[in-house]
Amino acid sequence: MHSISPSVKPQQIGDRVQLEMELELGLALPGSDRTPELVGVHGEKRASLCRKRGVDEMLGKATLPLFIRKDNDEDGDDDGRQSKHLQELNFGSRVLVGWPPVKMWRRKSDDCGRRRANCVKVNMEGVAIGRKVDLCLHDSYQALFLTLTQMFPKKQHDGEESDAAYYKVTYEDEDGDWMLVGDVPWEAFIQSVRRLKILD
Amino acid sequence: MVRGFGGAAAFPDEVWELVFSFLAADADRNAVALVCRGWHRIERRSRRRVFVGNCYAVAPAAAVRRFPEVRAAAIKGKPHFADFNLVPTDWGGGAEAWVEAMAGGWPHLEELRLKRMVVSDDCLELIARSFKNFGVLSLVSCDGFSTAGLAAIAANCRNLRELDLHENEVEDNCLNWISHFPESFTSLVSLNIACLEGDMNTSVLECLISRCPNLKTLRLNHAMPLEKLVSLLQRAPQLVDLGTSKFSADHHPELLSKVESTFAGFKHLKSLSGIWEAGPAYLPAIYSVCESLTSLNLYYATIQSPELLKLVSECKNLQRLWVMDLIEDNGLIAVASSCKLLQELRVFPSDPYGVAPPISLTEHGLVAISAGCLMLHSVLYFCRQMTNAALLTIANNRPNLTCFRLCIIDPHTPDYISQEPLDAGFSAIVESCKDLRRLSLSGLLTDRVFKSIGASANRLEMLSVAFAGDSDVGLHYILSGCKNLRKLEIRDCPFGDKALLDNTSKLETMRSLWMSSCSVTLGACRQLAQKMPRLNVEVIDERRGRPLESWPDDFPIEKLYIYRTVAGPRSDTPPCVWTV
Repeated sequence: MHSISPSVKPQQIGDRVQLEMELELGLALPGSDRTPELVGVHGEKRASLCRKRGVDEMLGKATLPLFIRKDNDEDGDDDGRQSKHLQELNFGSRVLVGWPPVKMWRRKSDDCGRRRANCVKVNMEGVAIGRKVDLCLHDSYQALFLTLTQMFPKKQHDGEESDAAYYKVTYEDEDGDWMLVGDVPWEAFIQSVRRLKILD
Repeated sequence: MVRGFGGAAAFPDEVWELVFSFLAADADRNAVALVCRGWHRIERRSRRRVFVGNCYAVAPAAAVRRFPEVRAAAIKGKPHFADFNLVPTDWGGGAEAWVEAMAGGWPHLEELRLKRMVVSDDCLELIARSFKNFGVLSLVSCDGFSTAGLAAIAANCRNLRELDLHENEVEDNCLNWISHFPESFTSLVSLNIACLEGDMNTSVLECLISRCPNLKTLRLNHAMPLEKLVSLLQRAPQLVDLGTSKFSADHHPELLSKVESTFAGFKHLKSLSGIWEAGPAYLPAIYSVCESLTSLNLYYATIQSPELLKLVSECKNLQRLWVMDLIEDNGLIAVASSCKLLQELRVFPSDPYGVAPPISLTEHGLVAISAGCLMLHSVLYFCRQMTNAALLTIANNRPNLTCFRLCIIDPHTPDYISQEPLDAGFSAIVESCKDLRRLSLSGLLTDRVFKSIGASANRLEMLSVAFAGDSDVGLHYILSGCKNLRKLEIRDCPFGDKALLDNTSKLETMRSLWMSSCSVTLGACRQLAQKMPRLNVEVIDERRGRPLESWPDDFPIEKLYIYRTVAGPRSDTPPCVWTV
């Protein structure tokens, strides 16, 4: 993995400069020792001493489905199963909605100039044309994955319908690191995500 | 002739009104209203304050009609768990219906306090136009409005004394809304704009501050640079309650001495908050006010332990302390020995989603506080480990606790020494603290703890439960005990139909019940709704689009909100909410 320093256009003056990447540029070194800025209480960015996992490490867990795309809407217990499945995505209890019970009342101190809409680019491996998704219109990972499904419908290679198709979605956060989507609670995610990439 | 208690006509109405005016508590006034028709009539015409704990419990028109002379109203909307994103954003709690009814029926309204409601700019404009003597507007955890709406309030409420905006989501589309306060406006006593995102025009604000001599409370947002803050504060040395803006800047000896002298000029300051991003350079400037402080909120201050410890140790008269867990056990031990008058402590997690706990804040800190602070009655504590022994000690030290909210961050965490559930510890709390009114549970808990709570927590009014219990029996203990329970909120517990159906009448004695990610089925909701017509049984399900009628009885409910009401099913349910 090599790192290309991107050409950056400072968007605003402040402690943190928001980078706008015009080109598809390289990834930062995975497993870097920099302490990542996780979003804490009230949207505050606080240094955490936990190490972020590099993408390699995460993709090693090949059997872990990130989200399930249902081609057929089935009744009753499937939904229970699906929501239970999402609840089982426990990376140390970090995917539970609204837990721990701290108010995620946001403080956008560093991006006062930011508009309400939170659009991020989405690209899928092997697909030339990227899309944009407005995260403000979504309130959960499930909602986001539904939108991504609609934007990038999965081709069935076998020709037969399978109940579920799995995507691996990664995102680039404000430090330039690529993370697996679903690691952190939704509120923390939307504060730090810069763009998305769907892996085939 | 006066015949003892019986005749309301024995005295003129005004005499009774005067007598009733000494009854502050709503419960007392409600009791008075039940004595006889005469007293009912007199009481309703003389009631000046109304509190509506659930905006859907009564129709606005009915409330306004019954109490025509109200001067102060407080209304709450969404369930508490809306604070943690468990309630869909379109669930409801709109303020229009209430504001319209009040505009028509209470022209003399002076005070309005709304919590967790959706307030539009139209609402704010209606408020601004409708009440000639409007003095107090408090919006807490609301959303749906913008600074344009605030401009309308500023421009039209000539006698506004208090504008309290606490943790609202406010769209910033009118940067200069503060300038809409006319030059003749001088009545401001309290201004809290900490939740606003945008920059304030400092000179306009300075002008406003200067011409309001009665200003006692000023809470600013983070945006104002420290330099400007200082020149603003120099106009208001009479402040009692201050929320600063950003408390950091490049180190500048001149600025530092300005900050110091400004704070030294505060002779009456009792409450301090804000202090966003406080740096060690400027923090010592606060020391001069520490001794007079009774309330200190360091929620936004990213101060580390040594400075934090020094700061709180200076605050000998502190009654309320809100602080991040960066204070660590050592800091709390220092608080326990310095702040002997402490009544309320809240310790928040600086890194709630972190994996490794780098912070040395454990049960020891809380135990120390419970031992050293004899007047402590209210606790909110986030930590990562707990033992039954610690809880027992706390219970024995502080039987005067009225509010105990413990959040052990990882669900199902047992006593880390014995690996036992924390049943014994929490049981000790409810058995020892006879006046406990609010309790939040966490950690590994079985049905046993609910047995204790049901049996002992006689004054308990609000209970929050998450990831606890083994079976329905747990919920049954609560619903069949806890005679003063008003609000119960439960998430991720194996509680289901039987406990609900065995305790249906209990639900009408409570304000509301929230259950999410439990084991309740639609069939039970249907039975409950049928049996109890004065309950609204709302099923919330964001996953599906089909109408509720087509679902089978065994369909598992995602989220359930049950509340008593005399207004019947509401008419403003969004697509994801069904009233069964």
